[in-house]
Amino acid sequence: MSTSTGAIVEIADAAFGYGAAPVLTDVSFEVLPGEAVALIGPNGAGKSTLLAGLLGLAEHDARVFRVPTGRGEIGSLPQSSEIDPAFPVTLEQVVSMGRTPRLGLRWPGGADRRIVADALEAVGLSAQRRTRFGDLSGGQRQRGLLARALASQPRLLLLDEPFNGLDQGSREALLDTVRALKARGVALIITTHDLELARAVCDRTLLVDQRQIAFDETGCVLTLERVEAAFASHVMEIDGHTLATTEHHEAEHSQRHQHLLQAEHGLDRRDAR
Amino acid sequence: MTAPAIAALLDPFTPFAVPFMARPLLLLLALAVAAGTVGVLVHLRRLEFSADGLTHAVFPGLAIGAVLGGATGLLPGAIGAALVAAVVLALIARRGQPRDTAVAIVLTSFFSLGVVLVSATEGIAGSLSDFFFGRLLTITWGDLWIALVLIAVGVALVAATARAQLFAAFDAAGARRAGLPVLGLEMVGTVAVALVVVAASASVGTLLALAVVIVPAAAARAVTRSLRAVIVVAILFGAVTGWLGLWLVVQLAELGLDAAPGATVALTMIAGYLLALAAGAVRGPARRPASLAVARTR
Repeated sequence: MSTSTGAIVEIADAAFGYGAAPVLTDVSFEVLPGEAVALIGPNGAGKSTLLAGLLGLAEHDARVFRVPTGRGEIGSLPQSSEIDPAFPVTLEQVVSMGRTPRLGLRWPGGADRRIVADALEAVGLSAQRRTRFGDLSGGQRQRGLLARALASQPRLLLLDEPFNGLDQGSREALLDTVRALKARGVALIITTHDLELARAVCDRTLLVDQRQIAFDETGCVLTLERVEAAFASHVMEIDGHTLATTEHHEAEHSQRHQHLLQAEHGLDRRDAR
Repeated sequence: MTAPAIAALLDPFTPFAVPFMARPLLLLLALAVAAGTVGVLVHLRRLEFSADGLTHAVFPGLAIGAVLGGATGLLPGAIGAALVAAVVLALIARRGQPRDTAVAIVLTSFFSLGVVLVSATEGIAGSLSDFFFGRLLTITWGDLWIALVLIAVGVALVAATARAQLFAAFDAAGARRAGLPVLGLEMVGTVAVALVVVAASASVGTLLALAVVIVPAAAARAVTRSLRAVIVVAILFGAVTGWLGLWLVVQLAELGLDAAPGATVALTMIAGYLLALAAGAVRGPARRPASLAVARTR
């Protein structure tokens, strides 16, 4: 489904939640073909709820709500998956599951097998296709689940914290995959706490904290003031500027933010404590 | 030991030349196919307790069938109750109740209803015992054909939805995100289990039907690592242990022991399962740890 503007996702004045009070409000953004949008915010900001809303698994109330609706047109990689490592399936069989929404009750043919092979190649795991899924490393499993999402040939791909827990090699491989998908016209929404990675592959950034704080080109959104507005519960001082973050966020990501902000603003970070 | 007994021992095919032994063997072979498809699905989705609930849930159907149609009403009654229980089970689970809670509610409510119906109706308790404990050696061609049709429908339901069922069994949340009708798949799977459970009830009885459906898949998982191997081994396991169980019934009869055929077959399967567990342990430690989060450290 395409909109009049050519956007694959077009959302205006939307709220997302699960029944009672909305988790995330005042959301307006779009994602164009071949564009990656970073979805950034502190824990509990509503990022996963927004992704669930786009998938139809959370409720939404919106003036404009346009997302792909065809079978398999939205692929997703979740933040975590409860998967039995002893489940008797190979990586190739797991990736083939991604064709199921497209196929319905039809049996897969040669074209489907080629798509599965391409998806495995896209994540660099062709050699492991016959390996039992549970025998793969954590990073390989994650890339395998990404290949499963790719096998549905999505027009929109939702990646929820895809870089967490990856070693450097897997991070680079994933970044290359994202770039390749963009070149093929796939639209992506990527949640991340890693502002550096957001800058590396995301054209625009949607900054949220229970409401939308900003949506614009990544360089324009990730300013000190806006990051401060989003991560506002634990105070720290950065060379005369007061930056607030959650304690969890500080522990997990302060080093990266320090590096990023130093690169951007030439700032030194000193904890206020 | 008599000469015929020795002959049967030397030639284990001989006892099955007579129709009253061929019919139960045919049924057990068909149930082996069900074990390799429907049973494997039950095992992969960890629905063993649900399947147990369904075996108990057929009780009021049996009672109603017996009241309305006597002995001929038992099977239709069981099918109806199993189908209703399958749908109720899926719906209760869908309403947010934990699956085990839903199964316990369905199991106890349906079983209680059955007890009330039986206690309030004179003369049907005797005809129900066949279904509880099985009538493997006295099964008629008519019963056999009905059971084969039930098994065929159950297997067909799982085969037609196999890839989606596999996706949902492997990663239910992922299947939901991919837009698959997970509730519908669960209902189809549960109905298939219900049909096979009713068919198995005709041979080994409702109380032991679970063994015929579940044990072959569990044994296959103990000694195999791939999905195809699980399916093939489960079918072979069900066929071989079913045949061995029947053969054992004949041998015990020759020795003057009138062992219950259904329970003997079930025990043979359990013995085979224990052997499979031992074989799996010899090949390597069982690898079925608790579910792990994939590749995430938050």
